[in-house]
Amino acid sequence: MAISPVYALRETGQNLWRNFMLSMATVITIGVSLWLFGGFFLFNYAVDNATQRWEGGIEFVVWMNPEATSEQNANILDAIMTSPEIQDYTFVDQDAAYEEFKDIFSDTPELVEVVTPEVMPPSYRVVPVDPDADVVAELASQFEGRPGVKTVVSANDTIRDIQDLADEVGTVFLAGSLVLLAAATLLILTNIVSAIRNRGREIEIMKVVGATNWFIRIPFMLEGIMQAMLGAVLAWGGLYVIDQRVIGRFSQPDSLELMAGFQVESDELIFTGGLVLGIALAVSVIGSSIAVTRYLDA
Amino acid sequence: MIKLENVTKVYKGDHVALRDATLGIDKGEFVFLVGASGSGKSTFIRLLNCEEVPEHGTIHVAGKDIGMLGRWKVPYLRRNIGYIFQDFKLLPNKTVAENVAFALEVIGKPRHVIKKQVPAILELVGLSEKMSNLPSELSGGEQQRVSIARAFVNRPLILLADEPTGNLDPQTSIGIMRLLDRINRTGTTVVMATHDRGIVDTMRRRVIELDRGVIVRDQARGVYE
Ligand SMILES: Nc1ncnc2c1ncn2[C@@H]1O[C@H](COP(=O)(O)OP(=O)(O)O)[C@@H](O)[C@H]1O
Ligand SMILES: [Mg+2]
Repeated sequence: MAISPVYALRETGQNLWRNFMLSMATVITIGVSLWLFGGFFLFNYAVDNATQRWEGGIEFVVWMNPEATSEQNANILDAIMTSPEIQDYTFVDQDAAYEEFKDIFSDTPELVEVVTPEVMPPSYRVVPVDPDADVVAELASQFEGRPGVKTVVSANDTIRDIQDLADEVGTVFLAGSLVLLAAATLLILTNIVSAIRNRGREIEIMKVVGATNWFIRIPFMLEGIMQAMLGAVLAWGGLYVIDQRVIGRFSQPDSLELMAGFQVESDELIFTGGLVLGIALAVSVIGSSIAVTRYLDA
Repeated sequence: MIKLENVTKVYKGDHVALRDATLGIDKGEFVFLVGASGSGKSTFIRLLNCEEVPEHGTIHVAGKDIGMLGRWKVPYLRRNIGYIFQDFKLLPNKTVAENVAFALEVIGKPRHVIKKQVPAILELVGLSEKMSNLPSELSGGEQQRVSIARAFVNRPLILLADEPTGNLDPQTSIGIMRLLDRINRTGTTVVMATHDRGIVDTMRRRVIELDRGVIVRDQARGVYE
């Protein structure tokens, strides 16, 4: 049997209005918790994007001039291969560098347009035997200024600090958001239970005249789901601000800089938004299901 | 229409509210359930409505063994059963017409059906004039008429009434009984719990008497005694 949408919406609207203050509190709590949760994801994405060059033990990068001769290249390669202090290295040629650049700046097509593989500097990504910062700095300086070398960038303490900080901040964000999310679930539950209490007689009549369980439940459940959806929209707004104002500020259009690529790709942003919506939906369905099964079917 | 076989209902604490009840009620019958307070009349009615589940025995309502009914089917059974409360249970912020329409709305009846059936039933119970009034603007007898209209608007096969005149004065009660009698004459089976001696003695219908959960009398054209 179909439930008339007019009926369901009218009932849901009336319920929401009746508990306006409590509804507001619920929406805000859900919004803030999802905002923190989504923020955790955005921040992690940004850190990953910024530090992807520095994973797998890579501690410094020797950027070659695009115009470096093959003899200059051979010299550097020879130095890397023969150095007892270097454990491993990866050569990133111009095409691969171009791909990486496109990847990092996929959100800034005007930047990608003016660049071609020929102008991209090839590079050696070097994994030293000893990752100690002083040893790395000393090792990296041996390549600085050699013929054909454009510049040498080492991961140094900054990158590691950022990664550590990101882990800590992320944990705090995540824990805080989960606590708030639990609170939001309880608020949704409380809201629905109070709505059920307020409408005891209606429910009694509905049961006695033969309304189906779903017919009775759905307006109440919709109430919880609607609160969560509004919370998710609130969180989206907050995440947009994080992306534009906070993360965007650090992003610099220079692929050689340490913080290059500290930004969130649009597909990552969409994924985070979807995740936030999905969690809102899950939390509200769980909260309102508990409320209706516990207080409506008894 | 209704058939009980060895039905026993025990509440928590080993309190037997109905003991080994066996009886049948045919389509179109009018039955009074009488007995002192606490004798099990309400329990009997709630069993028929699936509000309570018996510990022993089987109950058939409208041809169905309600003990075998899945939980989700109970609402559909209840659409065949009208229910009238002693305290009316009208929704205070809905008008008379809205109260009656509510019963159809929540079982998904289309709007055009509701528009047709609500005025017709209000006409039947004599409340056409008051359809836009709120329950608080009606007398007790009028409120009970609204409650009867709500119970009957979906034309159920069975009407259950638990002391429908319990809150009304004798004069008003007569009016309510006339209405129930008219509904019964349309072929609707009526089961009414009461301890109103005057009504039972005047109507001379079948009387089932309960005493501490036991059926002690089942008499056609009976009196209250
Ligand atoms: N929900 C219940 N839980 C426990 N005992 C109940 C419940 N309902 C009724 N009873 C008991 O069962 C007996 C019959 O009650 P009831 O059917 O209401 O009688 P009546 O309607 O004839 O007054 C009474 O003793 C009452 O106290
Ligand atoms: Mg009773």
